[in-house]
Amino acid sequence: MKRPELKQALGRLLGPVGPEVGCDECFEQLDRYVELELAGKDADAALPGLRAHLAGCPACREEHDSLRALVGGEQAL
Amino acid sequence: MDASAQLPATAAADQDSREWLQGLRATGAEHEAAIERLHALLLRAARFEVARRRPTLPHLRGNELDEIALEAADDALMSVLAKLEDFRGASRFTTWVYKFALLEAAVKLRKRAWQGREVPLEPETWSLFASSGLAPEAELEQQELLGALQRAIVDVLTPHQRRVLVAIAINGVPIDVLADRLSTTRGALYKTLHDARQKLRRHLHETGLQLGSWLEEENR
Repeated sequence: MKRPELKQALGRLLGPVGPEVGCDECFEQLDRYVELELAGKDADAALPGLRAHLAGCPACREEHDSLRALVGGEQAL
Repeated sequence: MDASAQLPATAAADQDSREWLQGLRATGAEHEAAIERLHALLLRAARFEVARRRPTLPHLRGNELDEIALEAADDALMSVLAKLEDFRGASRFTTWVYKFALLEAAVKLRKRAWQGREVPLEPETWSLFASSGLAPEAELEQQELLGALQRAIVDVLTPHQRRVLVAIAINGVPIDVLADRLSTTRGALYKTLHDARQKLRRHLHETGLQLGSWLEEENR
């Protein structure tokens, strides 16, 4: 196993550094966050703690990725 | 006068979103038509999620997947209607409702993928952490790190924190599935996971273990 994979495993175990929102707050803000991202704006500055949560919570990250793909795909049409 | 203009919850909303809200708050045929359109929108989002996850669910047939998408759309419709007054126009209405359908579909699909499977609450393997092909010195360093981690998980965490951390972060159990099995919520479990991670980090720091060299290895 290469060290980048070890880093990923340790990241899953120890989670993100710094403040993060919880799952409920993440869900509340996810739509705005995704639209800011797709508009090329600073979503992390507007909604602090959400990026860290997405790094630490696989389920919320999957839902973020899906929403971004769905809305981004529509905008591309 | 545009009726939707009187609604404070739509103050920041775009025109399309205001029309959605107006239709959903209407009565009679206009309301029914808006509900039908909303359900179609939610079903499209749920099917989108099903399609994304389909490769991970080879044992489910097409009609089963479509049933899951339909159930997700039905449940999302209920959630959206129950929370309609919470919409503040921070995003487009369609983006706001999509997240409900995606959540419902994702949760159902995760649960279906784990249906009938035991949820492992003890470490099944530490092989995820074990590197191969390292120089002897690096291998020794890695063994020390993994040993310290395993001891910390046993010594520092409460039994509940340990079960949650191991299940989610080591064994890859989806948080919704674990929440379901433990009769709790995703939010409550994530709080437990977060507290466990903080405790581990603090302990490892106090014992003098330098995590930075491992976690930042990729960026060197």
